[in-house]
Amino acid sequence: MEKVICRIKRYDGVKEWYQEYDLPYEKGKTILWALTKIREELDPTLTFSSGCRHAICGSCAVRVNGNAFLACKTSLDHLLSTFETHRLTFEPLNNFKVIRDLVVDWKPKFEKMKEVKPWLIPSKDGDKSNGFRQSAKDFHKISSPTDCILCGVCASECNQLSLNQDEYLDPFILNKAYRFAVDSRDAAPEEHIRPILENGLWKCFHCMQCVSKCPKEIDLASENAYLRQATMNMGERANKGARHAYAFVEDVKNKGRLNEVTLPLKTEGFINTMSRIPFAFRLIKKGKINPFHLPKAVEGIQEVRKIYEFAQGEKES
Amino acid sequence: MRYGFFPGCTLESAAKELMLSTKKVASALGIELVELKGWTCCGASHIQDVDDFLATSINARNIALAEQLNAPLLTVCNTCTLMLRTAKQKLDQNDELKAKVNQGLDKIGLQYKGTIEVTHFLWVLIKDYGLSRLKKKVKRPLEGLKIANFYGCHILQPPHIMGFENHLNPKAMEMVAEVLGAESVEFDQRLACCGFHAVFPAEKEVMKLTGINCLSSKKAGADCIVTPCPLCQMQLDMYQPDAQKDVREDITIPVLHLPQLVGLALGFEPNELGIQRHIVDAIPLLKKRLVLV
Ligand code: SF4
Ligand code: SF4
Ligand code: FES
Repeated sequence: MEKVICRIKRYDGVKEWYQEYDLPYEKGKTILWALTKIREELDPTLTFSSGCRHAICGSCAVRVNGNAFLACKTSLDHLLSTFETHRLTFEPLNNFKVIRDLVVDWKPKFEKMKEVKPWLIPSKDGDKSNGFRQSAKDFHKISSPTDCILCGVCASECNQLSLNQDEYLDPFILNKAYRFAVDSRDAAPEEHIRPILENGLWKCFHCMQCVSKCPKEIDLASENAYLRQATMNMGERANKGARHAYAFVEDVKNKGRLNEVTLPLKTEGFINTMSRIPFAFRLIKKGKINPFHLPKAVEGIQEVRKIYEFAQGEKES
Repeated sequence: MRYGFFPGCTLESAAKELMLSTKKVASALGIELVELKGWTCCGASHIQDVDDFLATSINARNIALAEQLNAPLLTVCNTCTLMLRTAKQKLDQNDELKAKVNQGLDKIGLQYKGTIEVTHFLWVLIKDYGLSRLKKKVKRPLEGLKIANFYGCHILQPPHIMGFENHLNPKAMEMVAEVLGAESVEFDQRLACCGFHAVFPAEKEVMKLTGINCLSSKKAGADCIVTPCPLCQMQLDMYQPDAQKDVREDITIPVLHLPQLVGLALGFEPNELGIQRHIVDAIPLLKKRLVLV
């Protein structure tokens, strides 16, 4: 390969266009190298942001061929071989307002983040002059979530956010809420968690985009599961998401398998389920569901229930 | 070739045709599927939202049942694969958790050892069975059939658990399609999410997504969508009439399960593969494109 063609989405505040730049191929370079080289040698008007160049400031995230990456951390060779091409398309992060070219506006996101009180609500176990003590075990609970560098990669890739900017919080905001909710020094986890519940926590698609793309490998999916558990422990079980999850837990305990006929009823209640009658008829006609089918318990259901008992004991201990 | 078979709940109910087509295709290829006795629901990406230890424990039981057969565990559902592999990875990487889970399993005379693989039908075709061998079995090349390969999230992501191929640019579906003689179209939503897991709490968004997914495949010139996941299949097929309500253009496109596609190439007729059970009728299209009885 002799050259790399960089096709960049431009925006000058009014109009949008794509512009191509040819760069000589050099082994072992990063995306940020390419952008910098274009700006320094080919087009000084190209606008992008980067601060640390060491994957700690989070400012350089961009999308390349439809996927978000940290520009300073991602090697060009990796992209060229992944996409088997010498032409790469650069775009600003999705689900952000664009300021110019590849630079996005973080202000609305920070405003949104305030919802979850992204600060420590100190417990009485410490104070300003003496500080706080935290066990190693408690520290480990926050060590991964505090790795977040607010790069926005997760938000760019989030499927729910793409369809619903107003009623869903960005994955990094969920991470922020989690980070304080599990901090042993925080006195009011519910104050971080409740806003998440009120802003579509259960609307997450479970698509795993956030956890797959986060450059800091933060396990955002497990954090979301924790937040959902926490809302249920707070007594918030009368919503579709919680009822749906519970239906699975109960069905497996009763029979070992899911009962698809009663699932909507358990999730949505009788009235809402009635509105699904045309849908149900569509399925019954093709034999996809049989409303009179009563599933039998699986072989070994007693054993399954013993596992439930054991898990319950673990939870309480 | 012998596998412990984990059908997953949908194969017993709404996706019975996937049970049928998987068994037919496996037997035609000479792959022995031994259904796990007493398998339970994998939790379908929901049980961990109530209790993650429980989610790991029930899947440790499922895997331990396959270990007793001493055969790899084969799935045909992306989410089952992800749930089982997640449990397996947690147990294999955390001795303390493994010991605790085994304490529970001990009470029912089982042990999770970590001796078998959890794999997916699509991966088995490529890695264990082999594409050249599959090619030799093709009796009715699917020439002229244009398909949109819809992977679904959970067969690819997160990569540290799935990891069969590059999650940013996978090839498995296209490789199988090529061997069967079908043509894969390029379309924007190839690696999109189907939204199935949030269809109750986020109905509005999920319907919108279904519309986008169907239309993207259709506009790219596909005759039908093919997917390795019964949940994607259900979402894109069963809910298509609902998704249509908000889209001006016609989004109608049939959606096949991967084993049905393979089955057609092996010479089975659509009814033998349960294709008549889909909400969007695929049979007129198949009659037009393929030589059917
Ligand atoms: S898993 Fe949920 S939060 Fe993460 S990207 Fe998907 S929809 Fe967004
Ligand atoms: S959670 Fe990960 S992807 Fe999201 S902003 Fe933080 S570091 Fe970036
Ligand atoms: S420049 Fe700071 S993270 Fe890339």
